Amino acid sequence: MSKFAEPMARLIDELKKLPGVGSKSAQRYAFHILRASDEDAALLADAIREIKQALRLCSVCNNITDVDPCVYCSSPTRNQRVVCVVEEPTNIAALEKGHNYSGGYHVLHGTLSPIHGIGPEHLRIANLVARVEQHAVDEVILATNPTVEGEATAVYLARLLKSSGVRLTRIATGIPAGSDIEYADEVTLQRAMEGRREM
Amino acid sequence: MRAADGTIHEMALKSSEAVVLRTYPLREADLLVTLFTRAEGKVRGVAKSAKRSRKRFGGALEPLTCVRAYWQDRAGNELARLDSCDVLLSPLASAMDYARAVALAHVAEMLDELLPDREPNDSVFRLAWGVLQALDFPAAAGTGAPEKSSEIWIPVTYFDLWTMRLLGYLPSLEECIECGEPLAGKPAYFHALRDGLVCATHRRIASSEMTVESRALAAEMFRNPVNHFSPERLPTSRLADLRKFLMQIIHRHLDRTLQTSAQLEKLD
Ligand SMILES: [Zn+2]
Ligand SMILES: [Zn+2]
Repeated sequence: MSKFAEPMARLIDELKKLPGVGSKSAQRYAFHILRASDEDAALLADAIREIKQALRLCSVCNNITDVDPCVYCSSPTRNQRVVCVVEEPTNIAALEKGHNYSGGYHVLHGTLSPIHGIGPEHLRIANLVARVEQHAVDEVILATNPTVEGEATAVYLARLLKSSGVRLTRIATGIPAGSDIEYADEVTLQRAMEGRREM
Repeated sequence: MRAADGTIHEMALKSSEAVVLRTYPLREADLLVTLFTRAEGKVRGVAKSAKRSRKRFGGALEPLTCVRAYWQDRAGNELARLDSCDVLLSPLASAMDYARAVALAHVAEMLDELLPDREPNDSVFRLAWGVLQALDFPAAAGTGAPEKSSEIWIPVTYFDLWTMRLLGYLPSLEECIECGEPLAGKPAYFHALRDGLVCATHRRIASSEMTVESRALAAEMFRNPVNHFSPERLPTSRLADLRKFLMQIIHRHLDRTLQTSAQLEKLD
């Protein structure tokens, strides 16, 4: 027997599925929602319903969007012949903070991850390959993370796209700006040395 | 830890060579790290703020990094507090591709699944250390990628074979387990439901054959270090029969399949 009325127990169970939410927090949120005005509770419920109904993946780049193609793919001021490949939709926001990239994107929604059973057949790459094969792209920037899985994914994509003749580049890795060489780890230092450039 | 006289004793800082097996995000900013240490076997610990700030650990917690790890045990808590890691060999220091990523993940999954917590095993540690060096490939000039697809098969099979032997799971590959007849130079078969090899007389339906070539290479692997074998020694079967035999033993032992063994056999 649950110590809560059935609708309450159900809400708690659903909230517990959220990342970082344990039983205690789920109960707190559930009681907060119970005490909230009918209007606030309805707004929350609508927002949740809407996110599933209105949002989908951009058919060009796989970004999460409410319009297809997404704002990046339909922007006339962005250079659609350059495509930056990222692991997750949230990476786009991070790259946009830089204010110096104005090309298009491609979102993989993950990386090759042998330990999780994710192989090349699970990656969202068909529309990227199609864009390259239709000669719609001059340069593919591989901006997956500099981790084992991110590197493996970048190398896999580079081999896959090589025969098309498209320009393939990998984002640089090295010492973060504004930091101190003293604090950089061995791997980062090695890569920074490899990636040095003429001055 | 608070002693009887009221003074607080810090738990001693421990240190050992270690291989990072896996990391999982923990709460907002921390990482839960599984290490295979030489001194104490498999140790699980929390790396504080490792997820948010890369400053202290940098690339050192990337799976399959060989490190010198420093940690403190905590009274009444099976999770240690990971203090720092110095990188001795990073998988990111050399060329990475999908085949190599699968091979590395396979080594990590084997160690994580088959070894008990806090039980040192120096032979398995030295095996893993040697195989990780053998899976370190130089990059082709000017790129981060290997020249051709990684030559993973000998190190991976060597690791599987020796791990099974060191953990005591490997039956003799020399004779039929039914009649004891020596199998040298003769066909040998194995079956998903029983350990060991059998002769042609005792093979069951749905058995697989292990070639004379694979058995000879396995025997050689028992006598030599992993770096003794050049990639040209790899038979056209890529030793798939030997690995299948070994994986069947693991699957019977764990009662499930390894995520990475299927990934390995799907590589082309
Ligand atoms: Zn788009
Ligand atoms: Zn027999």
